[in-house]
Amino acid sequence: MTAPDLLTRAPDVPGPRRLPPLTRELGLLAALAVALFLVPYVAGEYVLQIGYLVLQLAALGTAWNLLAGYTGMVSLGSAAFVGIGVYTVAELDNHSSLPLPLAFLLAGAAAAVFALLVSPAMFRLRGLYFTIGTLALAEALRLWMVNSSLFGGASGIFLRSRAPKSYALYWMVLGAAVLATAVTLVVLRLPLALRLNAIRDDEDVAKQMGVFTFRTKLIAFSLSAFLMGVVGGIQALNLGVVEPYGSFGLSWTVDIVMVAIIGGLATRTGPWIGAAFAVVLEEALKGYAELHLAITGIVVLLVIRFAPRGVRGTLTARVRPRASLTGDRGR
Amino acid sequence: MSLPDTQTLLQAVSSGLLLGGIFALGALGLSLVLGVMRLVNLVHGELVVLGSYLALALLNSAGLDPLLAAPLVFLGVAALGYPLHRLVLAPVARSGEEGPLLTTFALSIIAQNVFIQVFSGDTRALDRPYTRTSVHLLGITLPTVYLAGFGISLAVTAVVYLLMTRTGFGRQLRSSAEDPTAAAIVGVNVARVHALTYALAGGLAAVGGILIALCFSFTPTSGTEYLLVGFTIVVLGGLGSVFGTFAGGVSLGVLQSLGAATLGDGYRTFVGLVLFLVILAVRPEGLFRRRMAA
Repeated sequence: MTAPDLLTRAPDVPGPRRLPPLTRELGLLAALAVALFLVPYVAGEYVLQIGYLVLQLAALGTAWNLLAGYTGMVSLGSAAFVGIGVYTVAELDNHSSLPLPLAFLLAGAAAAVFALLVSPAMFRLRGLYFTIGTLALAEALRLWMVNSSLFGGASGIFLRSRAPKSYALYWMVLGAAVLATAVTLVVLRLPLALRLNAIRDDEDVAKQMGVFTFRTKLIAFSLSAFLMGVVGGIQALNLGVVEPYGSFGLSWTVDIVMVAIIGGLATRTGPWIGAAFAVVLEEALKGYAELHLAITGIVVLLVIRFAPRGVRGTLTARVRPRASLTGDRGR
Repeated sequence: MSLPDTQTLLQAVSSGLLLGGIFALGALGLSLVLGVMRLVNLVHGELVVLGSYLALALLNSAGLDPLLAAPLVFLGVAALGYPLHRLVLAPVARSGEEGPLLTTFALSIIAQNVFIQVFSGDTRALDRPYTRTSVHLLGITLPTVYLAGFGISLAVTAVVYLLMTRTGFGRQLRSSAEDPTAAAIVGVNVARVHALTYALAGGLAAVGGILIALCFSFTPTSGTEYLLVGFTIVVLGGLGSVFGTFAGGVSLGVLQSLGAATLGDGYRTFVGLVLFLVILAVRPEGLFRRRMAA
């Protein structure tokens, strides 16, 4: 596989020539963050709750995208990492008085450590088998949490502190979404991005070319787990009571996959677009939860079939030829 | 956690063995689809549950016994599976592995929620007079339906084995699995064989679903558990091997029952999943690499 080949597969291509400068993109992200930060001053309770959901999914989708989109490791085990984050913060809340940001970092760290521990087994699985393996892993962890009495068992645990106000929760999850996106933006400019993409395109060839595939995959896997753990930690505060069925539930995995696919795999803004779409659709079909999920499923089906690069990727594909004709009217 | 006595152990092993044979039928289609077209069919569990619901609907509306309804349910789900593969799965199969995989994932989400919409989220069961009787044998008690289900599962497995080894379709199926390009060159309509295999797999899953529903209650989301149990069986039994799958089911059933007897009943599925992960980690390619030996 030649270098130009590696560089043309995804809409987002690493390297200074194709991506806008990091400072500009981080600047845009900062501007977006400031604008979203100000929302609680003008918006009501309802908007903040919707905003929480959108940003939560954007953060999770971005974390998953790092793994599935840029590294080609399609994981269906996201629920495990979110759940670990949820339980870490719940336990810390009951047994310590750590400041919240530190608790969130520890939630992410716990999820990353779990990723590290299971990686020797999981990374022996390639492609489809990795996908099934992660699904089994998450289900096994959920069943263990339900049956074991170690962390409150099936009945779960109450958090000692009271749930923060909705604007505070909104700000926390905004921080997580911005963090996840900033991490992605930085990673895409590192040489690491080339190695991740090489593994996605052909793991054997990447190895032949001298990529330490295990180490590289582990970076993506644990980084993604860390970000999901942080989001899970925030969710623990939002819930007030945590129980294993929901915290480790498959619905996390389902939502994350749907958001990332609809928005567009391997795109930086895709997960945000997908998250907004998913939440808007959910609100439009409020009261028809099953119908909403079935319709989202159909949308995912259609996206995979007719626009496999998602909303964001498809937009880019349409714009690019014109942009190249007019010279500098790129992204 | 205490070690159970011999009697309890014997009871656990024999009922686990029978249940494993029943679950093997639910997993046979998963093995065929994975073996023939390398498709990880994440909607397989929902095809199993669909069989349970169709049997329930036929029982409630027409009074048809689930076991008599089985051929009808087989045909119905197979008839659904053929166009599903042709129109939905085959078109995305050209663009790599992830497209079909995530398409089946989306299908499973759609199916689960359609089940909730149509049949409500309640726990259901196929309740017949013979699901309440038991057979006493050498001091152990076995539900009649376990024995009947095991027999039916074994018989259907034998028919599938004959279909694959003694018929023209079986030959086409095996050649398509071995080398699709070569099969196509010698005149096998590979696309049709794939769709027919998918239909067969769906029908078998649905019949397995009837047998499972006679033993256990089920919900619209039971499919996820059946899927993972199915994968464990496939990994244990060897990919695409018909009787291997059956043997895989039996061994899983025994191991799960032993796990449940020592750790507690809630750990039944957990034991299976851990076993699955361990086997995958120890021999990820080894167990899967086996050719279609029928």
